[in-house]
This record gives sequence, C-alpha cells and structure tokens, in this order.
Amino acid sequence: MFPFLLRRLIAAVPVLFGVSLLAFSMTHLTPGDPVTIMLGERATAEDVTRLRTELGLDRPLPVQYGTFLVRALRGDLGTSLRSGQPVAREIADRVGATAALTFAAMGVAVVVGVLLGTLAAIQRSPLVDAIIMSVALVGISMPTFWSGLLLILLFALTLGWFPITASGGAGLVLPAVTLGLPAAAVLARLTRSALLEVLGQDFIRTAKSKGVAATGIVARHALRNALIPVVTIVGLQFGNLMAGSVIVESVFARAGIGRFAVNAIMARDLPQVQGIVLFAGVVYVGVNALVDLVYAAIDPRIGVK
Amino acid sequence: MVKKTLHLVLALLTAALVAGTALAQQGGGTLTFAYSEEPDTLDPQRTTTAVTGLIMRYAGDTILTKDLTGAYADGLAEAWEASDGGLTWTFTLKPGVTFHDGTPLDAEAVRASIQRALAPETQSPIAGSLFAPVTDIEVVDARTFRITLETPFAPFLDNLTDPRGAIVQAAAAAEMGTEFGRRPVTSGPWRIAAWESGERIVLERNDAYAWGPSYTRADAPSIGRIEFRIVPEAATRVAAFEAGEAQVVTPFPVTDVPRFLGDDRFQMVSFLRKGVGRFMELNVLVAPFDDVRVRRALNHAVDASIMVDVVLEGRGIQAYGVLPPSIWGYWEGMEDYAPKYDPETALALLAEAGWTRDGSGPLRKDGEALTFTLLSPPFDDAVRTAQIAQQQFAEIGIDMTIETIEFGTLLARVKEGTHQANLMGYTYTNPDIVHLWFHSSNIGTGLAHSHFDSPELDALIERSRTETDDDARLATYAEIQRFISDQALWVPFWINDNYIGTNASLVGAVVHPDGFLLLNDATLD
Repeated sequence: MFPFLLRRLIAAVPVLFGVSLLAFSMTHLTPGDPVTIMLGERATAEDVTRLRTELGLDRPLPVQYGTFLVRALRGDLGTSLRSGQPVAREIADRVGATAALTFAAMGVAVVVGVLLGTLAAIQRSPLVDAIIMSVALVGISMPTFWSGLLLILLFALTLGWFPITASGGAGLVLPAVTLGLPAAAVLARLTRSALLEVLGQDFIRTAKSKGVAATGIVARHALRNALIPVVTIVGLQFGNLMAGSVIVESVFARAGIGRFAVNAIMARDLPQVQGIVLFAGVVYVGVNALVDLVYAAIDPRIGVK
Repeated sequence: MVKKTLHLVLALLTAALVAGTALAQQGGGTLTFAYSEEPDTLDPQRTTTAVTGLIMRYAGDTILTKDLTGAYADGLAEAWEASDGGLTWTFTLKPGVTFHDGTPLDAEAVRASIQRALAPETQSPIAGSLFAPVTDIEVVDARTFRITLETPFAPFLDNLTDPRGAIVQAAAAAEMGTEFGRRPVTSGPWRIAAWESGERIVLERNDAYAWGPSYTRADAPSIGRIEFRIVPEAATRVAAFEAGEAQVVTPFPVTDVPRFLGDDRFQMVSFLRKGVGRFMELNVLVAPFDDVRVRRALNHAVDASIMVDVVLEGRGIQAYGVLPPSIWGYWEGMEDYAPKYDPETALALLAEAGWTRDGSGPLRKDGEALTFTLLSPPFDDAVRTAQIAQQQFAEIGIDMTIETIEFGTLLARVKEGTHQANLMGYTYTNPDIVHLWFHSSNIGTGLAHSHFDSPELDALIERSRTETDDDARLATYAEIQRFISDQALWVPFWINDNYIGTNASLVGAVVHPDGFLLLNDATLD
C-alpha cells in the first residue's frame, strides 16, 4: 500500500506544478487591470504606476511566477491586494464552511441516490421506475442557482421550516440538498443499472433457490457488488461538488471558498485567485489519490500494483 | 375591595409604565442589513468598496456632515470658518470626544489621521484623494485645528463629509498593522465588534457616544447591534428580507419593489439617484462627432421618456443635462434649455452638416452612410437603453452598432480616445463631478471621455472650485450645464430611483440625502 501511495504522491507533483502555472498565467492573461479596478475612477496615471510598483506588478512575469512558486512551497500564498491579509489565512477562514457543505451534500447524494436507485431496480412496476428515473433526469438537468431559489421559496418562505442565510446546522440543510441533488440523481441512475446487472447474475439465482429472502438478496448480495462502481463515482463527484459550491455558496450566502473565488476573480485580486486555484488543485489531487486507494481496497481484483 | 383593586391596577400600570420607559431608554435589538458585497478592508483610509463607506456611516465620525436638507452641518467639528478667501479653514472640535479605545479625539488626533491618509505608505485610494488638497494642518489648541489648502477649493468641505474621510485612531493603526483593517478604531455611535469572513460584520452600540450631529440625538442610539450580513445573490437578499431574517436591504432590487409596495409588513423608500444613470458620451476627436451639429442632432433624435417607461418601468426620470436634480448645483432651467425630442430638427441639423437621405433610406454624405459604434458595458439596463436609442436613430437613418464589452476594457478604450461613442453612468455627492468628466486635465486619465479640450470650459470649472460664495457657485454651475448642453458632449438619457427596503419593525429611520439610512434616532419594535 505504501509504495502505491508514494507513487500517487510523486505523480501529483507535475500536476500541481501545471496547476500553479495555469493559475498564474490565467490571472495575468485575462483582461482587466487589478490596479485600475482597485483605484477606481479618481485614479491618475501616477497613482496607477505607483501602486503597480508597490505591488510588484511591474516586474517581468517569470520573476513574478518564481516568487509566487517559492513562497507557495513554504505555505505562503502571498498577501491579498484588496484586504492586505495573508491569502493562506483568508482561505483557512473559509475552508470549514465549504468542507461542511461538501460533506453534507455528499451525504444527501449517497443516501438519496442509493435509496432511489435501489427502489427503481427492485420494484416491478415500470411506472414507478419511469417516475424515479424522470425525477433523476430533472435533478441532473436543473441548474443549482435555480433549484436553490425554488427550495428557498418552498421550504423557507412558504413553509418556514429552514432559515435562508443562517450558518449553523439548520442553515446547512437547504444548501446541502441543493448541491447534493444533482449528484444524487447521477448515483440513482448508476445504482439502478449496476443493481439490475448484478440481479441478473447466476449467484443471485443460486441464492434465491437456496431460499434467501428477497430483501436479504438485495441488501447482502446484490447491493454489495453493485456498489463498487458507485464508490468510484462518489469520489469523482467530490470534485463536482466543490465546483458546485461556487454557485450554492452565493445563493445561500455561505462564507466558503467558492464564493471567495468569485469575489477574488471579480476584483482581479491576483494573489487571492492564484492561492485559491492552487489550493483547490491540491485538494482535488488529494481526493483523487484517496479514491484510488479506497477503490483498490474494495475490489481486490484491481490490486495495489 | 374596590379601592384595593384600584390600587392594584394603578400599581401594575405604574410598573408597566416604568418598565416601558426603561425599555425605550435601553432600546437594543439587532438590526440586520442584507448586503451584496463584503468589504475589502474596514480601514476607511484603505478601502475601495462602497460597503465600507456605508459601515463607516455608523461606526465612524467625519469632521463635518450634511443635514437632512443636504446643507453642511456639524460632525466632529462644531464650528468651522474660512479665511484667506477659502485658502485656510479653522475647525473647532466638540468637547469630550473619544475613540472606541477610550483615547481622546482631539486636534492632534485629527492631524494624525489626515496625515496617515496622505502618507504614501498608506496607499490610500479614496481617502488620500479626499484630503489631497491639504498642504498643512496646524494644531492651534486641543480643540482647534487649521487646515491650509493648495488653492481655494470649494468642494473640500464636501470631502470632509465623505465616510471614507472618517477620523481614525492613527496610533492604533500604526500599532495594529493590517489587523487595523479588520478592527478599525474610530469614534462613531456604533463600533466594529466582529468581522466573520464572508459571513457578517457586527457593530455594537458605543455607549460613550455623546457627540451626535445637531439634527439627531446627541447621545448613544437605541439600536444595540447592527449586523451586515453578506448575501451576494439578489434573490436571496429579497427572500431573507421577506422571511424577516434581514430588516434592511439597500439598494433594494428594483424589479422586486412592486411586490412589496402596499404590504404593511415592509416599507419601501425611494430617492432619486445622485448622478445620471445612463448617458451617451460622444468623442469629439473622431468623425462624425467632430461636428457639433451631428452631436446636437443625436440629442434631438432620442425620446428618453420611452427609456424611462421601458428600462426603468417608470421608476425614475428623464435626464436633461450632466447634473441630476438630486445634486446641489443642478440648474432648474435645464429641462427647458435642453434639446427636445424632434426628429425634424435632427434631420435639419444633419442636412446642414451635409448628411442627407432618400426617403427613409440611410443618411449619406459623399456616398458614405452615417454609421457609428457605441461601446456599452455588459449591464442589462445599459444594453436595453442602447437598443432603444439604436431604434430611434435608425428611424432617421443613422446606423448605430452596439458593441458590448467588459467594463474595465471599455474604460481603457474610451480613455485612449479612438472610439466614437460610449454609454456611462455615475453616482457622486457634489457638482464637482463636472471636473472629472470635462476638465481637460482629465482627458486620458480621468473621465473626460469626450476628449473635448476647451480653455473656456476649463476656466468655468476652475471658477466653480475656487468661488466660496454659494450663489456665485450656483450661477457658475448653471453656466457649465448650459455650455455642455450647447456643445452636446453627452446625450443624457435617464436618472433612476433607488430603493431601500426596511421591515416595519424599524421605526424612526430616515433616508439621508446622501442615500443611506440615518439610524441614530431609530428604534426596533
């Protein structure tokens, strides 16, 4: 297991290097000058030049990139142009909110997705199957900025069950459902097809003929085998959920990394944007390595080579 | 028995009355704003965001303020006086003022604060320019200080009322470094208690407050806490407002206003924007707008009342000049003076300039059609305004192309001066905005996108800055407005109404002429 982990980590280095290079060049290639945006309409040409020099934006790009990289390796993501605060601290302030949202949404996705998928696979009425699968299709297709507002309208304004902008446990419900539903829909479809495939196999027939109860067959034999591809997809969905938090955090006014990223881009706060992209890259690579490990652990045939 | 009961009732009534008075005195409660953006920093001298200005209205004190009529009034200073023809200003501070950390706010503290705003290492984007005309600050005694300006500069008093010019505890700022941006030390009726990143900024009442402006109560306000909840999505702000999670939304999204009008759980207060919402700037360096007759023809070709109906859904007024009626200095005669919608006059002016058409075909001069490109920022109201203008120009044979580009890029391009026309909008507190839009020193650097270089207009604008007599200044501003209208440097379109939504539980809040809620005398039910 250890050599495998090590190989995964070494493989991540060039990926992260690429991420840092992309993050850096993207922010410098997009139009819009951070200094003019910061200074606003009253700025004179001298003001712009002065601030540009003070912020080090007048140095050659490779020099700026080198400084950025060396500092990042030491955990220093630079200082925000707008707030003057260390970017690493600003990210640390917000990472909790995004982690809570992502895990809660993941929970919603797994529970709802596997339940609905199983239900669709085992019951015999084509009508129920069709209903569940159309709901799943709607779930995948509906953009979260729209479904989030619909949930607010129904559960917060009309029924008054949940708060809209609170940050505690109750305030997590609606955003987690909004973010988790599309992933739940994907998992439901996947669970259904995987389960149907397994249910058609010989060992299930054997179990049936031995007299194992139907629920036992599904729970103990079929579902267990069907879940292997599902686990892989759960891992991949994690990245999607992180990306989705950009919108959901804006809709529900949550103080997370996603919304922080949007603000940073709008303000052309280069150190913030670079820091966030790099941080997200590290998390993504880390999660994928973890998924590989779990995957190998679940299915011995894949093995840890 | 009866007597006993009566006594009991009286005793209860008295108790209730006493309790009620005590409650009213103590007040309290939390007032929550749902606001779109998070501040960059709460240090008023380093901020570029509007929200920090708004928060400083509650947490900070400026040297002067404006009263509810928009006239200059006392702030930290109770008296002020000009000498040397407006070159030096002497201010007397109110007695006993302290910062939130308990240190005295005296003349020395004011000097330190202004010096910090001006120091290059502060990198102050806005406060630095507010105090830029200052060359010297002299401390006369503990409560008196004298400011000397570079030249007599009438708008200077206005700068002193800007919340970004709030006086800060400079010693604390030096000690705290960037942390000062999270917990600034100022002197207002509320103080910054907490800033939870991305979530909220919490203000708590400053119980020591006793120096409120003369048009409000002097002592500490009734509302105990103010929270600025950061809610970027407009629909969510409105939902939180409707659900009662937030009591104030400012500015309130105009499209949602009708739904709340007539609902007695909420109040919608409106005020005319302090600035022109949308107008077209014409670049005089480039054909066809190097000809004043073409520029005037465009002014006659647009019926902006249609834009007010369609784009603003009636919530606003037509603009006639460069200043709105909501800014001091607006000339009352502007509406009559400005070019009226009249396609015939427009065509006559164009014919004079050599542009003619066959029937309803395009206007041509030497075989070439009258076409131009309008740069528009990618905002919904701008694009719709541009489309209406496009249709109306087409009716008299002018072919206008709309090019929608990102705002920063648009600004860079119009500063260069190779464009033909562009759409803009502005908000400002005083008529000195004409300097930024029209003085030749702002060509290429400021906002003089018409690139109109005229010594005559420059002289008028300079006069408006140095005159200290209000009536003389008003006359100069009227002259400036006529001059710009004669030259048709702009095609003014409309000025929108802004809205603030408040919950009915907020009582006694007043909309200040500068467009914010004055809360010193407000209470929460």
